Amino acid sequence: MKKPRPILFVLLLAVLAALVFWFVRGFAPERIAGPGEAPSSAASPETPVPKVTMKATLFFLRDDDGMFIAETRDVPSTGSLGADAEAVLAELIKGSTGGLVSALPSETKLRQVFLTKDGTAYADFTKDLTAAHPSGSDAETATVYAIVDTLAFNFKAIKKVFILVDGEERETLNGHITLGRAFFPDFTLIAKS
Amino acid sequence: MRNVFGRGFDSRRLHQSMMFSVRYRASGAAALLLVAVCLAAALPAAASDQRTIVIDPGHGGLDPGAKGKFGSVEKDIDLAISRKLKALIEQSQSYRVVLTRDKDVDVSLENRAAIANNNDALVFLSIHVNGSFRKKAQGSETFFMSLNATDEESRRLAYQENREQALDKTIAGADKDDIKMILWDMAQSAYIKQSGQLAELIQAQLNALLGTENRGIKQADFVVLRGVACPAVLVEAAFISNPEEEQKLVDEAFQDNVAQAVYTGLMRFLAAYGKN
Repeated sequence: MKKPRPILFVLLLAVLAALVFWFVRGFAPERIAGPGEAPSSAASPETPVPKVTMKATLFFLRDDDGMFIAETRDVPSTGSLGADAEAVLAELIKGSTGGLVSALPSETKLRQVFLTKDGTAYADFTKDLTAAHPSGSDAETATVYAIVDTLAFNFKAIKKVFILVDGEERETLNGHITLGRAFFPDFTLIAKS
Repeated sequence: MRNVFGRGFDSRRLHQSMMFSVRYRASGAAALLLVAVCLAAALPAAASDQRTIVIDPGHGGLDPGAKGKFGSVEKDIDLAISRKLKALIEQSQSYRVVLTRDKDVDVSLENRAAIANNNDALVFLSIHVNGSFRKKAQGSETFFMSLNATDEESRRLAYQENREQALDKTIAGADKDDIKMILWDMAQSAYIKQSGQLAELIQAQLNALLGTENRGIKQADFVVLRGVACPAVLVEAAFISNPEEEQKLVDEAFQDNVAQAVYTGLMRFLAAYGKN
């Protein structure tokens, strides 16, 4: 029997190692940035993310007759329905830039908007919505429909809105109108311009 | 010793007369008791012949309702008007009137409706003054219940309406509560029509007597109107958030007019649509 040469053995090992290395590296997907991490500059070239906005229609009250008047504003949009709905309501809470009356108390704070597949948007506010509310059938109706009409008008996917306070369902907004169910929009409350 | 009648004192006769008077008194007392018992039995029957009207002064206690610029508070005005209305109705002596509150206390919306139902009320009248974000908002309006059902509710109602005939025979015991709720919803629909008629008659009087802007009759999903098993309306007399109307609302004469308007509208309704 021929005596095996050590160098051949080493060469064989090296070839095997190289094959293994290429196999593992070659077929494994490139590592994509995990959640929260910025994509590695090695994976893709550095490109600035364009700021996307959407045109939001917000409804405020005309002092003379209480009809809703539309104001449009650019609102940051991430493309996610929940986040965009939150951004639109945040603008509504800021109030009118055209001298109209807001149908939400200025102290109002939004906690979250989340959506279910049947087209119901759950708009969750802090207790300020009710605690700072002026009370009265007129005021309560205005608040409910400012929220419902604004969301339904801007987002086709939102068919009805359920208003929550501090994450819970309330019996009424402030003693009159029920908050125990979702509301469909009432676009007859919007003035024809 | 002479007794009262000037006759000689005779202890035996005295004893006899005392026993006689005791017996007399006893039978007299028994007779009176019998009469009293009969009266007591008869009185509730007489009272229930008299139909009840329930008046609901809005808010109360820790819930002040809307507030005015000059410091007036809705709950006080609601109660004042309600008391005047009660007095007017009681003058006619045809109806018994119950207030859901007769002082400054909290009453839950559920309890207000319960008071109406427990008293087998003919009619339920909730008395409020209005509040708005807009200082210019003004006028009087009358609300009645709206059945603004969501998709699911209206589908369920429609389904049950179609199967109404077979209900009694095919529904198992466990489902009976669902059915009762659906039948309740249907009964509410019947009351809603009458509530609309009542609202119209009251609003017409508010327009005639108050000189305020006519905001008309409206339907709304107000919780206080929901659980009531009779025609029910909520009257918004005027806007406490409007300084001009606030001045009117605290004025005794204006409050009298509001009470008069609701009273006249109510009487016309009862005359036209009879007892339930």
